Order: sequence, then structure tokens, then C-alpha cells
Amino acid sequence: MAIGEEAIVRSELRWAAVSIGVVSLIMLALIYAGIVHHINPPSNIEPIDPKTLHLSGEFTEANLGTRVSAEGQVTSRIVATQFTFQPRCIVLPANQRVTLRFATPDVIHGILVTGTNVNTMIVPGYVSQVHTVFTRTGELLMPCHEYCGLGHSEMFATLRVVPASEFKPDAQGRVSCDAR
Amino acid sequence: MSTDPLDRPWRLWASVAILSVFVFSVLFGFVLLPIIQGRGAGLDAFESICRALGLRPGSPAAPQPASEAKAQPTTRVAWSAELMQALDRPSAIGAQLAAACTACHGKDGRSVDPKLYPDLAGQSAVALYKQLNDFKSGSRLSAVMAPLAQPLSEEQIVAVSAHFAAFPVRSLPPAQMPAPSEAIERLVARGDPTRAIAACNACHGEQSGGPPEAPRLTHQGAQYLSAQLRAFKSGERRNDIYSRMRNVAAVLSDSEIEGLAGFYSTTFTY
Ligand code: HEC
Ligand code: HEC
Ligand SMILES: [Cu+2]
Repeated sequence: MAIGEEAIVRSELRWAAVSIGVVSLIMLALIYAGIVHHINPPSNIEPIDPKTLHLSGEFTEANLGTRVSAEGQVTSRIVATQFTFQPRCIVLPANQRVTLRFATPDVIHGILVTGTNVNTMIVPGYVSQVHTVFTRTGELLMPCHEYCGLGHSEMFATLRVVPASEFKPDAQGRVSCDAR
Repeated sequence: MSTDPLDRPWRLWASVAILSVFVFSVLFGFVLLPIIQGRGAGLDAFESICRALGLRPGSPAAPQPASEAKAQPTTRVAWSAELMQALDRPSAIGAQLAAACTACHGKDGRSVDPKLYPDLAGQSAVALYKQLNDFKSGSRLSAVMAPLAQPLSEEQIVAVSAHFAAFPVRSLPPAQMPAPSEAIERLVARGDPTRAIAACNACHGEQSGGPPEAPRLTHQGAQYLSAQLRAFKSGERRNDIYSRMRNVAAVLSDSEIEGLAGFYSTTFTY
């Protein structure tokens, strides 16, 4: 069976066009995510010892959750661990700059907050920090999106975004889901 | 070999295409995107390009309080490779120390009364070490175990843990095994996504790859298991690192607790 040289070239060109089309589509999706959703790589590197994470300092269990500093800066500290987030429910104010700080004592986890561009990996040995402003109030789901073991599919937390008027820190500047 | 004349223009255009994709990516990734995204973060164009190229560091982390709350850690135990290895080696010191435990936990770590005292035989040494440490530091409260654990040194805790872990588990007569209900088996093997409960076996299963200190549950007395689950649920026991076990127990119903304790006390598998 003889296929003409020209026919082969035409077929090659057709397939080349298909693959260029696929690659362009993926590139366009990346560009769209970068510009419209502001997806970008992390801008700071902050090491922390995962073996002693629970023992002293910032990520001790009693220190976790949302806290407002004397200067009014809202920071929420959250630990991702096999197979739970601690705390599991986090209160944050709407329309205000908030900082989320994540760390893990065990394996790689990841989070995304549904309906927002908050999305980061949580790697043992590092603090993952995200600054953001939540514009919608309500309960937002925050699942673990990096396979971390057999219980991965049951690992999620809830972000409760409340209007500023309902965001009431206690004497220590803490706000938790139970307190409401 | 002579080159086919058809190939030549094709190669030229392919090179041009690849080169222009490269130039576009560099321009887009290192110039255009940083400028657009930098604007949102209040950075000028030059600063954002320098950051994208790695010439300037990113925003420094906001300074964090080392420990603003006088926070009590849930436990004092921290894992290291050396400790894990030491827990793998039973020693003569361990056997000597174990004499003080036999009155309740049995000579071979098989409890004299499983209703009151947990079996230690075949339990993971890592779990035993953590519990003894927590009894000693007061992270886990027990009027019986605290005075027994307090005089033990770090080395003695390692030795006695390795000692009991080396015994085979209690053998259970197969006749005792009622068929577990489907709901209980689902919690054990699959968990419950609607309540965010991971399967018990994701952490407690053999070689599950979960937290290293998760104890073996099978062959343990049902009364002991359900008492522990209730204690986690009420917060009376709170020595589990980052609430891994309290978060699970908090949403279990009382009948599920009884069912799970019964399941683990009678099953050979898992
Ligand atoms: C007077 C009886 C008694 C003696 C003696 C005793 N224990 Fe215990 N042990 C208990 C009881 C009761 C518990 C359960 C405590 C609870 O319910 O929290 C326990 C629990 C434990 C646990 C926790 C087990 C688990 O699965 O969480 C360990 C480990 C342990 N004992 C080790 C020892 C060692 C080692 C010794 C010897 C130095 C010892 N015990 C001596 C009564 C005793
Ligand atoms: C996220 C991992 C995880 C899951 C899921 C989990 N556990 Fe645990 N469990 C632990 C850890 C870790 C400990 C040890 C706590 C400590 O450090 O004292 C523990 C301890 C226990 C104890 C006390 C045992 C003893 O000897 O003292 C019981 C009982 C128990 N779990 C039952 C269950 C049951 C039943 C389930 C399923 C509904 C379950 N666990 C699911 C991690 C888990
Ligand atoms: Cu995870």
C-alpha cells in the first residue's frame, strides 16, 4: 500500500494542529488562573520543626484558632494532621484582611477554601501563610487536597465567615466556633 | 543520506514556533504576570519583576509571638528516629521493671482482669511509651498509673515498653465472636465522611501509616475501650496530640461507642 508523501504531511499537520491546540488551551487556563483568580506561588519561606510542633510556641494546641492582636491584625493558626484539622471550625470576619497560618507535624497536606483563591500545600518543616480577604459570609468548606493517608477523604474543616458586627473577640482576642 | 526537501521549511517553522513560545512564557511569567499580580499587593513594577526573578526576597513573615498563650502542650512526648529504634529492642532492664506491673497487667502483659486493666502484650511499644510518659507528666490522668509511672526514668520507660510489646497478644476463642453490625464495620473500615470521621483503621490498623502512637485496639477488653472512648468524648482524657482522637470520639454516639468497643475486643483481624 502506497501513501503519497503529500498525504503523510497533511496528516502530520492535522495532528500537529490538534496537539498545539491542546497545549494552547492549557496555557490559556493557566494564564486565566494567574490573572483572574490571582493564583501565585508563595512569597515567603519560614521553617519550623515538625517533630516538636505540638510542644512549644505558636502551634501548641491551646494557641490554635483565630486571634486578634492588639493592633487589630486577625490571624488564624491551623494545624493539619492525619486525619483532621485542629481546630475543625474556624471563625473569620468578612471584608477584612486576615492571615491564615498552617503547619503540619506529619506528612504533606494541602488546603483550598471552596469558592475563593485560598489554596496552598502544607509541607512538614514549613509554615504556609496566606493573606486574604473573604468577601462572602457563610460556611466555607476547607478540604485537604493532598493525599495524606487512608483517612484523607474524611479530612476537612469549616471556615465560618461572619459579618464584622458578629465577629466578637473575647478578652484574649480569641474567637472560636463554640463561643457563638 | 540526503535530506528530504519537504523537511526543511517544517524544521525552520517548528524552531520559530518553539522559540516564540519560550519568549512569550518568559515575558508573561517574569514580567507581565508579576506586574499584574503585584499591583494587587501594592508593589511597583520593578519590585515585582525582581521578586519573580528571585533577585529580591518575598514579603517577610509577619513576626509571630513565640508563645503568647502560656499554652500547656497536650503531651511532652516528641518522636525521633533514635527513640523509635530504642523502642524496638527489648532488654533485661525491661524484664526487671515489669515485675512491678504483673499484679494488674499480668506476667506476659496479658491483664489479670481485662475489665479493669488493659492488656500490654503485643501493644505497640511506641504507644506504651507515650502513655507511660503521659501518666508521668500528668497529661493522661489516672490515680492508679500516675504514682507507678512517676518514678520511672526515660530509659526505664523505653525498656519496659519494649519489654511488653514483645509478647504475643492474648488468644481469643473463636466461639466468642459475634458478627459485627454493618454500621460498625463501616466506621472501622471506611469511616463516615458526613461527620468527618476517618476510618478507625486509617490510624489503628496494622501498618496503616497513620499517627505512630495510635495503639493497637484488637484483643483489648471491651470495657476498657469504651471507657477510653467516653473519656475522649467528654474531654476527660485529652493527651492525644492535636485532638486526633477527641475529634473522632466527640461525634460518636453512645451506641456506636459500645459497638466499636465490642467489635475490637472480639475481632482477630485489623
Ligand atoms: C494496680 C494496678 C496496676 C499496676 C500495678 C500497673 N498498672 Fe498500668 N494500668 C492500670 C490501669 C487501671 C490502667 C488504665 C488506666 C485508665 O483507665 O486510664 C493502666 C494503664 C496502663 C497503660 C496504658 C495502656 C493503654 O493501652 O493505653 C500502660 C502503658 C500501663 N498501664 C503500663 C504499666 C506499667 C509499665 C506498669 C508497671 C510499672 C503498670 N502499668 C502497673 C493498672 C495498673
Ligand atoms: C486520626 C487518627 C485516628 C482515628 C481515625 C481514630 N483514632 Fe483512636 N486513637 C488515635 C491515637 C493517636 C490514639 C492515642 C492517643 C494518645 O496519644 O494518647 C488513639 C487512641 C484510641 C483509644 C485508646 C486506646 C488505649 O489503649 O488507650 C481507643 C479506644 C480508640 N483510639 C478508638 C478508636 C475508634 C473506635 C476509632 C474509630 C471510630 C478511632 N479510634 C479512630 C488516633 C485515631
Ligand atoms: Cu490531609
